[in-house]
Amino acid sequence: MCWPYGRTTMDGMNGNLSSRISIPLLRRLREAGWGILLAPVLLLIVSVFGRGILWEVTAVLAVAATLLAPPVAADIVAAGVLCLGLYAVFLTGWIVLAFFQVIGNVFANNPALLGLNPFSTTVMSLSGYYLSIGWTAVLLDVLKSAAILGFGVWLVPRTIGMHSGLARRNAALASRVTQLAETRGTAVDTAAAELRRLERNLHDGAQARLVALGINLRAAEQLFKTDPDTALALVAESRENSALALAELRALVRGFHPPVLADRGLAAAVQALALGSPIPVQTDIQLRGRPPAPVESAAYFAVAEALTNAVKHSGASGAHVRMAHCAGMLRIEVTDDGRGGADPANGTGLLGVERRVATFDGILALSSPAGGPTIIVIEVPCALSSPKTFSS
Amino acid sequence: MRVVVAEDLFLLREGITRLLQAHGCDIVAAVGDGPALLEALVSERPDVAIVDVRLPPSFTDEGLRAALAARRQIPGLPVLVLSQYVEQLYARELLADRAGGVGYLLKDRVFTDDQFVDVLRTVAKGGTVMDPEVVAELLVRRSRDAPITRLTDRERDVLALMAEGRSNAAIAQQLFVSEKAVSKHCTSIFAKLDLPPSETDNRRVLAVLAFLNS
Repeated sequence: MCWPYGRTTMDGMNGNLSSRISIPLLRRLREAGWGILLAPVLLLIVSVFGRGILWEVTAVLAVAATLLAPPVAADIVAAGVLCLGLYAVFLTGWIVLAFFQVIGNVFANNPALLGLNPFSTTVMSLSGYYLSIGWTAVLLDVLKSAAILGFGVWLVPRTIGMHSGLARRNAALASRVTQLAETRGTAVDTAAAELRRLERNLHDGAQARLVALGINLRAAEQLFKTDPDTALALVAESRENSALALAELRALVRGFHPPVLADRGLAAAVQALALGSPIPVQTDIQLRGRPPAPVESAAYFAVAEALTNAVKHSGASGAHVRMAHCAGMLRIEVTDDGRGGADPANGTGLLGVERRVATFDGILALSSPAGGPTIIVIEVPCALSSPKTFSS
Repeated sequence: MRVVVAEDLFLLREGITRLLQAHGCDIVAAVGDGPALLEALVSERPDVAIVDVRLPPSFTDEGLRAALAARRQIPGLPVLVLSQYVEQLYARELLADRAGGVGYLLKDRVFTDDQFVDVLRTVAKGGTVMDPEVVAELLVRRSRDAPITRLTDRERDVLALMAEGRSNAAIAQQLFVSEKAVSKHCTSIFAKLDLPPSETDNRRVLAVLAFLNS
């Protein structure tokens, strides 16, 4: 049985009158799902045929709880059913006991009754009550109380289990929301910082050179007839400036989105990184397809950072990059044979890498004991697109 | 010299075409995308092709792929690849068939047109020309056990200039030594890189390849 208050509010939105008139009670029920009324209504119906005040009390409580606080209703209904079950068993036990007692007494003391059928006879008990001790009535009573008790025993752990499950899920969701808010904040901050860096680099670099270029060319234009030598020198200088501007733009773009990554994807870009590294870097790449572009980019810069650290800080003479995708997880391992002792807190850029992969629910693990080796493992959950094979 | 030019930016394509025409080249085709390039290369069989790495329709390394495909059909078809970036990965792929007739330069090298036309002629003759930026990147590498480590510093200098496509005479001029000294260095380099005596140009290609693979 699936208790129906895990549904979302979208379920009951069918656009009829009751959904447009916004009555809180109705809305609450709609949000919980109408199925929640099933148990209390069943109880009400049963209580009509049942006996004892406990039935009515439980049913009323159940209905009230359902209307006021749907999630609590489940617990009350379940607890009520359990109590009813226990009560019914007690009652039945007493009836059964009385039944045999009465039969024993009556038939032992009254030889005149010996010819009667003891299973369909109404007799007076010792305490003075008339008991219907018909065979079928007792059997029904036993079955009914067993059924109610069974239902209660079955229901209680489910509602309580559901409640604790719900609480667990709520806690998990809350922590997920916190984590997402954090990583989103980081992602937005990082993107903004990157844009600022881009703007500053363009402003101080290529833009400035283009301005200088324009000024030089204008000067050369004016000097062409009067002082051709100076004009020529200015034009030559302009050409050099344009080459420098291009070189700066190249370096800038490489820092944002490396061309090989754009052309061929992660596997080739990491191979290109390895080739371009000042130390020999072995690659072992097993990717049957390409991760989503943002993950590719994050993974690329993670490897770039790890290799840069290997060269700059750990004094390694060689490094090894392993990359594979299995069970929905992109796993990258960069090992170097340097002196170790890397600490993300020391501003090695690994912190930035960790934040960046965290936006994709990825993790970074670092092992770098003094004396080395340094092992950096990055795992990012992602799917690969296109079955094309890239391998080194 | 019959030249095919592949460049998607109209201004650059026109610029290169005019520049080469001014130097007496015959532009047999000027195309703007990968498939057209492959078709032009195979049908025109030019003396040399100038190819931009990034071309439509995919705007990835379409030009490079078309050039490599054409060289598979016509081995040794001279190709000078131009790009906004140089990548060792692409340099290796171009040299991998060991046929020579390959150049790989940054686009800005076109600015120095005399040198550029020299490079074009070198490539057309089956030479190998790598951009100084590719070579500079190779020089900072600290390999441990590659054959390249057997070279002396001076031999590495010579090999670097060789990779840039310079002739022995040009290398001699650059390093302020005699041409004879350069050719002695070359012999030593070929020996140390285990390149058996053969036609000189091919050995130069292989030496550059060894350099790239170091």
